[in-house]
Amino acid sequence: MKESKRMFLHYISGIIILVTGFIHLIANNLPDIGTIIHESALYPVNLIMLLSALTYHMLNGVRVILIELIPGRCAAKAITWIMFLVGIALYIYGLQVFLNLFWPVE
Amino acid sequence: MSVDKEIEVRFKIFRFNPKIEFAPSWQEYKVKVNRSTTVLDALLKIKEEQDPTLAIRYSCRQAVCGSCGMMINDKQMLACFTRVLELGSDVIKVAPLKNYRIIKDLVTDFNELFQKEKQVKPYIIRHDLEELLSPTGTYKQTEDELLRYIQFADCIECGMCNSACPVSATDPLYLGPMILNRAYRFISDPRDLGFEQRLKVIDSEHGCWRCHFAASCSAVCPKGVDPAKAIQLLRRALVKKAILGISSSKKVELIPMEHIKGKLELPRGWR
Repeated sequence: MKESKRMFLHYISGIIILVTGFIHLIANNLPDIGTIIHESALYPVNLIMLLSALTYHMLNGVRVILIELIPGRCAAKAITWIMFLVGIALYIYGLQVFLNLFWPVE
Repeated sequence: MSVDKEIEVRFKIFRFNPKIEFAPSWQEYKVKVNRSTTVLDALLKIKEEQDPTLAIRYSCRQAVCGSCGMMINDKQMLACFTRVLELGSDVIKVAPLKNYRIIKDLVTDFNELFQKEKQVKPYIIRHDLEELLSPTGTYKQTEDELLRYIQFADCIECGMCNSACPVSATDPLYLGPMILNRAYRFISDPRDLGFEQRLKVIDSEHGCWRCHFAASCSAVCPKGVDPAKAIQLLRRALVKKAILGISSSKKVELIPMEHIKGKLELPRGWR
């Protein structure tokens, strides 16, 4: 993937974090609206979207910092792959937590 | 104050010869300056009257060539364009530009910078070779199109923006504001068709996306070029290309001109 696409996704995920994070805060802090959100499918869907955006945004941010601090073109590629694999692992773990929480297997 | 009235000012100059010295040192000189004396004048006076071993790079003495960029009182400035008394300080600290290898004293090595510049192809790229060799007209360019890039074309390549850039300080592979500004200057030129050819370099891990937008490059530019703005515009062009598939290369109209005659010969090995 080109760097421009990665960074565009970084900006988009930042906006998604703002929106979904705001919904998450409302759901947990305002009793009236919070109850409605908790009882609807919006709550788990919002959390999964927040997890996806947060994982991408966080790891891409770390990747950018590491690329600047560790010089070398090979290092940049290695960092990108390591972050990608760490991201996949974190995402699968987070998704599994949510699935067990909202749709437990009996 | 009359122009002739002279004041004695202390100069604290960075001295270092990496070939024979292990560590840099600071040396002090006293110079009499008047209202019109520039830092470069004072440095040349030191070189002529007190210490001929002091190494300085300069050329035009009128802020056109960009050779005499240096750290003056910890800020990137052109020595020929900075009057000593304007600095309002009794001690003038002069050091080589940051983020470059030091050749000797105040002379820095720009070789790496110019090698990076070659990668972005800082010239107009066209595919109509026949027209270039046997011109029949001139490429149309409106005033608006010219105004879109003219500010960025004012760059004198003094390298001070790269010296002020915090990313260039940590990432040696980062292209830097000067190079990215050069790339945008040609990409935004309507006569240029080389956008796709420059993509590989400017859209890489060490390309324009590494800019933190500290804008210190624009703050130190002696020509008001604003490389930070060029980098943001470059990012917009890249996103347009990556997401919407819109290329910045445009088709430019050719205005036939009958008085243009003759065939141009390309230098050997250009075909």
